[in-house]
Amino acid sequence: MCGINGIFAYHYAANPIDRRELLATRDQMIARGPDGAGRWLSEDGHVGFGHRRLSIIDLTEAGAQPMVSAEGDLVVTFNGEIYNYRELRRSLEERGRSFHSHSDTEVLLHLYATKGAEMVKDLRGMFAFAIFDLKAQTLFLARDPYGIKPLYYADDGWTFRFASQVKALLAGGQISRDPEPAGQVGFYLFGSIPEPFTTYRAIRSLPAGSTMVVDKIGAHEPVRYHSIARDFCEAETRYAGADRTADPARQFRSALLDSVRCHLVADVPVGAFLSSGIDSSALVGLMRDAGQQEIETVTLTFEEFRGTDSDEAPLAADVARTYGARHTIRVVGEREFNQDLPRILEAMDQPTIDGVNSWFVAKAARELGLKVAISGLGGDELFGGYPSFRDIPNWVKIFRPFSRIPFLGRASRLVGSPILNGLGANPKSAGMLEFGGDYAGAYLLRRGLYMPWELSKLLPRDVVVEGMRRLKPLALIAREETPRPKSAAARISALESGLYMRNQLLRDTDWASMAHGLEVRTPLVDSVLLQKAAEIYAASGTNPTKSLLADAPTQALPDALKRRPKTGFTTPVARWQQNLRRPPLAQPRAKTPWARTWARLVMAPAELSPASA
Amino acid sequence: MRIFALLTDGLGAHGGIAQYNRDLLNALSASDLVSDIVVLPRNAGTNFEPAPKKVSQLRPRPGRISYSVEAVKAARAYGPFDVIFCGHCYQAPLAAAIGRWTGAPVWLQAYGIEAWDRPSALTRASVERASLVTAISRYTRRRLLEWADLPAENVRVLPITVRPMFTPGPADPKVPAKYGLTNQRFILTVSRIAKSEAYKGHDRVIEAMARVLEAAPDAVYVIAGDGDGRAELEALVQRKGLDGAVRFLSRIPDDEVLALYRSANAFVMASSGEGFGIVFVEAAATGLPVIGGNSDGSLDALADGVIGRAVDPLDVSQIAAALIATLENPRLDAAVRAQRFAFSNFSAHVDALLRTTFH
Repeated sequence: MCGINGIFAYHYAANPIDRRELLATRDQMIARGPDGAGRWLSEDGHVGFGHRRLSIIDLTEAGAQPMVSAEGDLVVTFNGEIYNYRELRRSLEERGRSFHSHSDTEVLLHLYATKGAEMVKDLRGMFAFAIFDLKAQTLFLARDPYGIKPLYYADDGWTFRFASQVKALLAGGQISRDPEPAGQVGFYLFGSIPEPFTTYRAIRSLPAGSTMVVDKIGAHEPVRYHSIARDFCEAETRYAGADRTADPARQFRSALLDSVRCHLVADVPVGAFLSSGIDSSALVGLMRDAGQQEIETVTLTFEEFRGTDSDEAPLAADVARTYGARHTIRVVGEREFNQDLPRILEAMDQPTIDGVNSWFVAKAARELGLKVAISGLGGDELFGGYPSFRDIPNWVKIFRPFSRIPFLGRASRLVGSPILNGLGANPKSAGMLEFGGDYAGAYLLRRGLYMPWELSKLLPRDVVVEGMRRLKPLALIAREETPRPKSAAARISALESGLYMRNQLLRDTDWASMAHGLEVRTPLVDSVLLQKAAEIYAASGTNPTKSLLADAPTQALPDALKRRPKTGFTTPVARWQQNLRRPPLAQPRAKTPWARTWARLVMAPAELSPASA
Repeated sequence: MRIFALLTDGLGAHGGIAQYNRDLLNALSASDLVSDIVVLPRNAGTNFEPAPKKVSQLRPRPGRISYSVEAVKAARAYGPFDVIFCGHCYQAPLAAAIGRWTGAPVWLQAYGIEAWDRPSALTRASVERASLVTAISRYTRRRLLEWADLPAENVRVLPITVRPMFTPGPADPKVPAKYGLTNQRFILTVSRIAKSEAYKGHDRVIEAMARVLEAAPDAVYVIAGDGDGRAELEALVQRKGLDGAVRFLSRIPDDEVLALYRSANAFVMASSGEGFGIVFVEAAATGLPVIGGNSDGSLDALADGVIGRAVDPLDVSQIAAALIATLENPRLDAAVRAQRFAFSNFSAHVDALLRTTFH
């Protein structure tokens, strides 16, 4: 876990890189890596790497980065964790490779030397890294299958730059701040900017599960090596109905325990976020099963929720007692929210309508001295926890016949929208006939913040037209369910994981936790677990359900928790932000969903003064 | 690999685009991947040195319709081709149509102003079908990517090359003598003076001269180049009372340009609309300190200020300050730094582009 950056002046016309720029970008990420900083420059001055370190595995100087291979021909700068690095190291040693440190970083160098770009398929973990091959004069970049760790880049035609954060790239001072219309439109449609777009034209995200090569002619298009939809499809092809007598609960228990065990690899204590939900509670139970003796848990609650059904604290305390965890309840109030708001907006690397809760829980964990915490993120995607698992297939069934009638959807929306607005109904409902007929459209209805036809109220018309043309939102959604799994649940799971979780939950978790120098680990967001889950679902014909997760720990979860209806992790942010008085914001109408108002607050600084964004 | 090149200016034509095309054809023919290149130009001269190896140039067709008809006929008669090279954005629809019909990928070249603003819907769609776009500068690349929804990775920068004749050395004394510049401290601009190209900024340099003269009373500004904008500039000189400090020369031949570069004290062009600005590199390659704008392709020719000084081309005081600083403290390493734009680098890059994109 760290912050990485680099500059590669690849073109024959390019100047050698500017060291000040390299360090300005690196040190903008000081919160990501407060424990140390390193840099590496090639002899010809055309390549440089930077690294800010948060030490978690191999705390010695031998694990410092950027790391040069013993032969001196490869250099790596790496952000993340490779959970299977010990197994990889053993197999590399068997092939005669000798190691000089105990870090997972060195494994990357040896693995690249042995396998080249194919190495990424062997990695289990969360990662974003760059390797420069001095012999071939090529830069290789890779990002983990789910996109847990971020990696952004900019290529101006002469010089390629990359960093863990958009704001860090801008801090280097050499990248154009021209706005990206697809990013602006994407933010209002989804509530977060869908990758590969960012707020800026010049900066792109390396897509999750992709690699990229930069050589003397420049960057080559990213190559996707992992797809969630493909994992589901392959499992369906190979295992469909193969084992209807199997016990999926037992199989999941072993797959989940394996993932949790992997995610506990560290040379510092690993804590856990605990809510009153099944996901985080089951993980704490599994940490106990994995043999972790001391478990430090932290629960976030809000002054306003004290004594109400929304208060997570009592049930969470119950779970902590069940598993013998050392437990802390952290209370956050409106005053602290107002105090932290400027820092939250500053740490927010890209605009998002969420992340406030992640900010406070990470803050709480860091106050306890934790450097690493386990999070239950990903449980809803893997075990069918969202209403979309029910709604989207239903909507598609109902609306598909109508979607085949030309112009009907559009006409019904044009007629219905003003009427529904007048009635104060959810503005999305006007689009049911137009968008509800297929999975991509229905997903947009389910998850969308604003609908395409509402954008002209928020952005200039040319931005909307150009943005929609570049973003192609329905194609962007459909890409995540391609190749298309047969099972509806698998399709929704691929969509939710590849869009909402990737672009919003994981990104928010990254900036909010990194702002506090905390590493968050997500055992339910794991490529090996995904593969096993897809196999179990396909072979047994079982539909995803939270009970598969709830029943995984040997010692059962408290009954009260299992019986509790799903509430999601809510915060009183809605009310707090309504209380803010910000001049650029018109007072929202009473029925405006709070996320929409928050979205405009988040975008306001960017829109008012692009230079400070 | 067989290439069909649709060019506006073929071998024997005059001007910057013709020169670029000649360099490109030389580079393509130097690549061992290329077996032959068929060129269909709209304009071309008959009087050119032997064509580069592997290149056969068809008769030029200046008319738009006759050109398109001939392009289709040639694609059929001389094909099949592995790559369709399209030398200008406005020919993109034709190239795209031939590419689609023959199944060959299209490589499009973008220079400057023609690629900066959103074209017609047809041209835009055609550009977006290109497998490779080469832009002469980062600026042109950026402007094209503002309207063209292409993967940025398919748009590469392939800068203009500096001709090998531009090297440091003693000036032929006859040339400054011919123009009355012997032993004269002078600042030079070599460019056309067209009303349609007012962005070149001669007027702003003239205004800056008033301040330059305070620091360097003997300095003279020499504008080499012709065009319909000259009368207005002469009037400006009169108004500013700069008679004697600004001199106009007509368009002069290349060998005389070289001698002027070698005897001048500074080169300046405060342009805000350059696709690249090869004159900066050619002047710098002779060792002459250069000053240019920082808002367009000039930044590439100036290598972000490493080859020459980059200033806001619309800010007269910045231009004046840069001129004074250059006269007082000339940087003498421009020639070495300009060598990055040598043909050998260009040629190797063209070969790498072919290998990566079409091989």
